Amino acid sequence: MSKSVDMAVTVGADRPVRLKNPVIAASGTFGYGLEYADQLDLGAIGGFVTKGVSLKPRDGNPPPRICETAAGMLNAIGLANVGLEVFLGEKLPKLRKLDTAVVVNLYGEAVEEFAELARRLSEAGGVAALELNVSCPNVKAGGMAFGCAPGPVGEITAAVRAVTDLPVWVKLTPNVTDPVGIARAAAAAGADALCLINTLLGMAIDARRKRPRLANLYGGLSGPAIKPVALRMVHQVSRAVAIPVVGLGGIVTGEDAAEFLLAGASAVQVGTANFLDPAACLRVAAELEDFCADQGVTAVADLVGGLAA
Amino acid sequence: MGAIWAEVKENRKLGEGIYRLTLHAPAIAPKARPGQFVMLRVAHGNDPLLARPFSIHGAAGEELLILYKVVGRGTRILSQVRTGKTLFLWGPLGRGFDLSGERPVLVAGGMGIAPMAFAARWLAAQGRPAAFCAGLPGLAGWEHLARGLEEELAGSLSLAWSSEDGSLGRRGLVTELLSDTLAAAGASSGGVLACGPMPMLRAVARVCAQRGVACQVSLEAPMACGLGACLGCAIPAAGGGYLRACQEGPVLAAAAVDWERV
Repeated sequence: MSKSVDMAVTVGADRPVRLKNPVIAASGTFGYGLEYADQLDLGAIGGFVTKGVSLKPRDGNPPPRICETAAGMLNAIGLANVGLEVFLGEKLPKLRKLDTAVVVNLYGEAVEEFAELARRLSEAGGVAALELNVSCPNVKAGGMAFGCAPGPVGEITAAVRAVTDLPVWVKLTPNVTDPVGIARAAAAAGADALCLINTLLGMAIDARRKRPRLANLYGGLSGPAIKPVALRMVHQVSRAVAIPVVGLGGIVTGEDAAEFLLAGASAVQVGTANFLDPAACLRVAAELEDFCADQGVTAVADLVGGLAA
Repeated sequence: MGAIWAEVKENRKLGEGIYRLTLHAPAIAPKARPGQFVMLRVAHGNDPLLARPFSIHGAAGEELLILYKVVGRGTRILSQVRTGKTLFLWGPLGRGFDLSGERPVLVAGGMGIAPMAFAARWLAAQGRPAAFCAGLPGLAGWEHLARGLEEELAGSLSLAWSSEDGSLGRRGLVTELLSDTLAAAGASSGGVLACGPMPMLRAVARVCAQRGVACQVSLEAPMACGLGACLGCAIPAAGGGYLRACQEGPVLAAAAVDWERV
């Protein structure tokens, strides 16, 4: 198939992030990027979001941490990560050399921690954008506890906005009644983009052993099973706020990605699919390009928000 | 680089619920070392969704062997895959056994025989002396595999069996066979290399610690990526925190594992 489709997209206006193609690897499924270096050309993907980085290293939750469910999986990793110092000293210098957008996901247990992380990462250089994790369902403090109400989301976003000129993306949880109110709070506080959705809080039970399958009891559901929920929320939020939305939740194919763009996303993230195929981001981008060519779409950005009434 | 589609050359039933899969995998087989694993998707589509880790049972030329037991939905689906079909996989992954020491003692319990047989063949091919203690529940269902291994290793390794029902070799647990072997063998630098169910590995680690023998264990854990990214395969580490079975393992020094928390 002839590949004459313009696949480049830009996320955000005031602090634009330019991507070669709209497919970004999602946080928590792509490590620090380097884990995939032998599996695909990191310079060929639109970008990737690192595992959530916190000020101090975190061990994460006791195992079992993951289990498979119908067309999906549950995880309760607990934001295990190397911590800011190791990230800055050992990971970021290698990531700077990559020809792709490196988005750093950051996680704090208090507003001040988010601000401190943002300040240090901004000073370090080589970061394309910050993604604020106010939606992790697997930690006791912070995470989803912050992300379920407009107040704290606005407060964290404003605190980060005050200390950085980097694009600030805010990753929202689906585990709320009204995502629009929270999205508006983030936008009003200076977010450059919103990423949704994070995982849906769920549970799996081993009936024969009468035990939960995860040591953490509950975990975040991801994979194709959650795609309809994600599409609904991307649609709902993207028409309520002026800033762009990065859509994710269950994307496995290029056509899945097209659906998110049509629903209103300016770019997409691929998460669980990286576990099914280490080169999923490249494959999704190639399939999306084929889809566009097939449909007579000359620029992938033309799909954004193009849902027929 | 990356994952491949591999043709199924054979998917042979060796006993009740026990199968040996032969894949044409030229990008993987020549690089495979004993103790390493592959991530293999048993079906296309979204259900079952995740790839499964399988330890490598052998590699000859461009062919990769996987020995597996039907334990759940994924392995049941795999057992029905016919010759000529293609399967999606990536690897070889993880750290395998350190086989550099003199006269190592290999220990296998049940399906733990999959990687240990690979290690045994590896040593035999180099003409290196080693002992192999293999424990099974009994001969029933395992006879084909046991006899095949005996033939393959005849004259190269000292292979001894134990079985819980006494139908093959010494009656009892493989850890008892190991204790006797270590008592008879005296000191060697090769140490003990083991794979099997977690209670067995725990017991092997204890026996080795008591005797001051270095011990490497191959552990399994639920994992999604096999690449060190998902962090699902956490193994409690001695001294706190976790090790990733897919990266720091699946073969770990027994002393690096916190057996209390496993």
